[in-house]
Amino acid sequence: MSVEVLSVVVLLIPLAAAALTARIRHSDLAHAIGAVAMAACTVLAVVVAIDVVGRGVAVQGPHLRWLELGAFELGGFELGAGTFVDPLGAVMAVIVTALATLVLVFDAWYLRGDPLAARFPWQLCGFAFAMLAVVLADNLLMAFVGWELVGLGSYLLIGFWFHKPAASDDAEYQRNKGAGARGVIEASLSPSFAQQKAFVMNRVGDAGFLLGIGIVLVAALANGQRDPLSWSSLATLAAGGTSEALLTLAALGVFCGAIAKSAQFPLHPWLPDAMQGPTTASSIIHAATMVAAGVFLVARCEALFTTTALDVVGWIGGITCLLAAAIACVQWDLKAVLAYSTISQLGLMFVGLGAGPEAGGRAAGIAHLFTHAGFKCLLFLCAGAVIHACAGHQDLARLGGLRKRMPITAIASLLAVLAISGAPLTSGAFSKDGVLAAALAHATASGGLAYGPLVLAVIGSLLTAIYMFRWWLRLFAGDARVPDCSAHAHDPARSASVVLLVMAPFTLGLPWTFGGWLETALSGTRVPGAALAEAHHTATWIATALFVTGTLVAFVLFAPRSGLGALLARRLRAVHAACSELFWIDRIQDRVVARGLGRGLARIIARLDLGDGARITSLDGLIDGLGRGLTRIGGAGSLVHAGRLGVYVAVAAIAVTAVLFAVLAP
Amino acid sequence: MIDLLASTVLVPFACAALALAMPARLARWCAALGSAVVLGIGAYALADFARHPGAEFRFVTSTTWSESFGASWTFGVDGIGAAMLALSGLIALVATIQAWRETERPRAYHALVLALLGAIDGVFVALDLLVFFVCWELMLAPMLALIGLWGGEQRRYAAMKFFVFTLAGSALMLVLIVALWATTPAGGRDAPIAAELLAAQSSDGGLTLHGLDVVRDASGAAAVHVPRGFDVRHLALQWRAFTSIDFLGIPLAAFGFLAVLIACLVKLPAVPLHTWLPHAHVQAPTAISVLLAGVLLKLGVFGLYRIAWPLFPEQAIAWGPALGVLGVVGILWGGWVALGQGDLKRLVAYTSVSHMGICLLGLASLTTAGAVGGIVQAVAHGLSSSLAFLLVGVVYERAHHRRVDGFGGIAAVMPRFAKLFLFASLAGAGLPALAGFVGEFLVWMGAFTGEAPFPVLAACAIPSVVVMAACLLSATRRVLYGPLRHPEHAAFADCDRRELAATLPLVVFIVLLGLWPAPLVDAVRPACEALVHHVRSAIP
Repeated sequence: MSVEVLSVVVLLIPLAAAALTARIRHSDLAHAIGAVAMAACTVLAVVVAIDVVGRGVAVQGPHLRWLELGAFELGGFELGAGTFVDPLGAVMAVIVTALATLVLVFDAWYLRGDPLAARFPWQLCGFAFAMLAVVLADNLLMAFVGWELVGLGSYLLIGFWFHKPAASDDAEYQRNKGAGARGVIEASLSPSFAQQKAFVMNRVGDAGFLLGIGIVLVAALANGQRDPLSWSSLATLAAGGTSEALLTLAALGVFCGAIAKSAQFPLHPWLPDAMQGPTTASSIIHAATMVAAGVFLVARCEALFTTTALDVVGWIGGITCLLAAAIACVQWDLKAVLAYSTISQLGLMFVGLGAGPEAGGRAAGIAHLFTHAGFKCLLFLCAGAVIHACAGHQDLARLGGLRKRMPITAIASLLAVLAISGAPLTSGAFSKDGVLAAALAHATASGGLAYGPLVLAVIGSLLTAIYMFRWWLRLFAGDARVPDCSAHAHDPARSASVVLLVMAPFTLGLPWTFGGWLETALSGTRVPGAALAEAHHTATWIATALFVTGTLVAFVLFAPRSGLGALLARRLRAVHAACSELFWIDRIQDRVVARGLGRGLARIIARLDLGDGARITSLDGLIDGLGRGLTRIGGAGSLVHAGRLGVYVAVAAIAVTAVLFAVLAP
Repeated sequence: MIDLLASTVLVPFACAALALAMPARLARWCAALGSAVVLGIGAYALADFARHPGAEFRFVTSTTWSESFGASWTFGVDGIGAAMLALSGLIALVATIQAWRETERPRAYHALVLALLGAIDGVFVALDLLVFFVCWELMLAPMLALIGLWGGEQRRYAAMKFFVFTLAGSALMLVLIVALWATTPAGGRDAPIAAELLAAQSSDGGLTLHGLDVVRDASGAAAVHVPRGFDVRHLALQWRAFTSIDFLGIPLAAFGFLAVLIACLVKLPAVPLHTWLPHAHVQAPTAISVLLAGVLLKLGVFGLYRIAWPLFPEQAIAWGPALGVLGVVGILWGGWVALGQGDLKRLVAYTSVSHMGICLLGLASLTTAGAVGGIVQAVAHGLSSSLAFLLVGVVYERAHHRRVDGFGGIAAVMPRFAKLFLFASLAGAGLPALAGFVGEFLVWMGAFTGEAPFPVLAACAIPSVVVMAACLLSATRRVLYGPLRHPEHAAFADCDRRELAATLPLVVFIVLLGLWPAPLVDAVRPACEALVHHVRSAIP
């Protein structure tokens, strides 16, 4: 089969698997079918990737005309759906399908015994389909459709345990929660709240995305493009005389979607809440793939991103990188650390992208996306193993010494921690070098403010090493703090342990750097300039220094029996409090947006609209009152009585006309 | 030969008579039969337009009603009319299934529903303005009775309010009809026509000449001789004449546009003329809410497409931006008010206000994408809001209240219902791959490609996607999720076969239309394109 056809098959297998597994009530069977289907899908995706990456080409698959809107000469256009595979998309497709397979295998063990477990496979397969629709889309509209559907997948999986009460009323949550969870608004934290928050916050970004699509459409039509939202049409926009301002606006619109999906400041608070879903779902959706879709999209639409837009991308990424890393340092919930770590790492990817294609930023950001997907998914699965082993406990203050009871998990997660911290020879070092190098090259070339994202990213990376080692040390080193929590802990069952072992090698640099295939795939035949090579050299030193410093600091502060961490927290009380309170972002958003602009304003408007009918302080009351008043002026009570309807009609006609005139009069 | 379109009016009325004559338990079968016939004819017509796209009216038949008055029973549909017809049949069928076990005067109930359907279909198929108006008013009586007799506690107030609003809104339309007749010379009038219209006479150029004689005036320019009467196709050709005729001190066109506009905006409903809607919905029984939201509101949209825009293009252009603003106000206002509602029915009613504002924005933008989007949105809203009202009915039948806060966690008790409810919320929020998204997206894109200020209006309206998602998903969460808040709800039975039979067809069509809207779009596009072209030809 040709690559063109294969790409469609890869796209549709997960959909078929979702449809099939949705009917199956038996959890293990559903997981098995899902895993087998996704494994087959992975194989095909690998075949596609080998071909596409090997040849270094972009392949346009079958294209279906979805809608045709009138003659082109009269401002009409057409919209379609089809597949498009380039090295970027091909590698991403492999990652999505492979991780989905592994997560399904792991989840069969993880959710065993849960009465709702049989729902997981179809929701995950459905998610994989939507994700592949984003990855393999050949135009912006199809990407948007997939984009929203991954949001649906995320919505369903966050709300997996939909029956749980709010955290403030949840005895189990209160018993197991992290000691220092201060910034969280417990009254509105539950799977059902979290899923709603995730969807609505993503919608904020999607509104911007839609705006971006609209601008692209208008610009492309002005450019004479028949199929205005296709990638090829996007690529010609800049050359076709679209003004830079318009292009920037379109890019920022699209980036708005990315900010929400990739949980960047200020739309990040949904991601930590999303940890209410099963950890296995978090591993692939809220760590490895879906949240990275924003990064992927920005890379896909790079033709739109002017230097101004890229600066915004870099800055948002840098701010998020540091902000989230700082928060991650003081979290006590083991999943919360990982959630903020994901946000921070996504910020790092945007710093890479923001450096611009000349500085190799696109390739670097995407490379970090790929490697991050590997080690972050592994970290989450390890977290899942720990939570499962410790009967739901997630508190870093109570767990400890697990390396003896869970050696496989300990080693796998240590490798992942090394990778995310950027230890030499790990995958993270390889890609983080790239990002820092790109940011450095960009900063050197542009100077001035362009150093901002670089500095933020460097500090963020230093903190990354610190909080990740803190996480690992508290979980696995030393002795058990509260023995009850981990008394019966043991490594996952064999099938799940195998998943951890399979993923572990991908935390090393070799699979990613072997033969330089990834770099070829991402930057094509572009030969890095001398400036970039030099920046790379410097960045390697910076990254290594950051890793060494961060690790040392972490060991000094958080090694078992070291009281220095607590001491430092007391000394830096203000900073510590700010980080613990999540910089009050969650609370402010809750007050101002959710309660103020949302519910509060809505209630006021609702009262203005309908009121209670009796008083004229509402629109409804006003119209009623107008009718009554005019009836009275019309006098002749008998007339009202006898011909009530007629008078009513006349009065209302006048009233309605008057209101309409009042509203519409220019 | 059986007159296809006339039977969409006559069959429901015949079935209504039959229902009254039949034993009570057979009345519902009459209702099902009547709506199924309409659905069948609508689907047949729509399929015809989908397979052979064209802007012309098809299945046209004409019988003289009054020679001296120039009125005739002229029926015909274009793609838009066919789509509306099919929608009305489907929604009526669904509403009938919902009310399958109606025990309170079932014969009268089903007969009234059928009469309502017949009158509504009369509007959709009428090509004569007088017939259009008669049907437009005729539907008020059964609706008044259905809300007033089968409604909730304040049914009289709500029914009267509905009646007064809509009757008052359309009162001026009658004046317009008289004025049109009075200002047209007895022998008819020569209307100048554009050259391309003449050229398009043989092909499907939209508002073609309908067999009228082409004459040449003194300067040699082409004109058609239009007889005095109310055929909307003929009236559309005379739009230039309407702008120069003085009526009560203003041009007849300005008066006429306003008259039709008010009638349609009340039905739509557009803010601030919408306040009858929440009352009517809250008081109406479930099936009537379904008909109200699913079909009746569409009349407002349809009237704008069929009468206001073709007959008064100059005004449509002049008022376009203002109406666009009105649409956006409705979109945002409706969404925000919905967010503040504690009553499920009222909440859905206000989302209707928002959704119908999208239709208005699309048409006002004067682009093909916008006009097509307006129709797709109207159909999509018909499907999704009907589904929402059916589901509210499901819980209302069990809990006997509709307060959002009076539920909680019933997903665990009613899993099938939970899936449907979530689906309805997502459909209402315009999730891609579902019908609502197609309509919304086309309207946004139409507005973006429109002239100033429409791109700005689109930008202002798009944030409504956040509000709609917040409002519908928050209601979903409060009703379905969390722990079961009221222990007595544990005894709730999941959706039964009747409820599934009513809801699943809507689910299927929402998905089909969302995934593959091409047939519908192909069917309505030529008509919309011709309409936009016609209106734009009035740009000086």
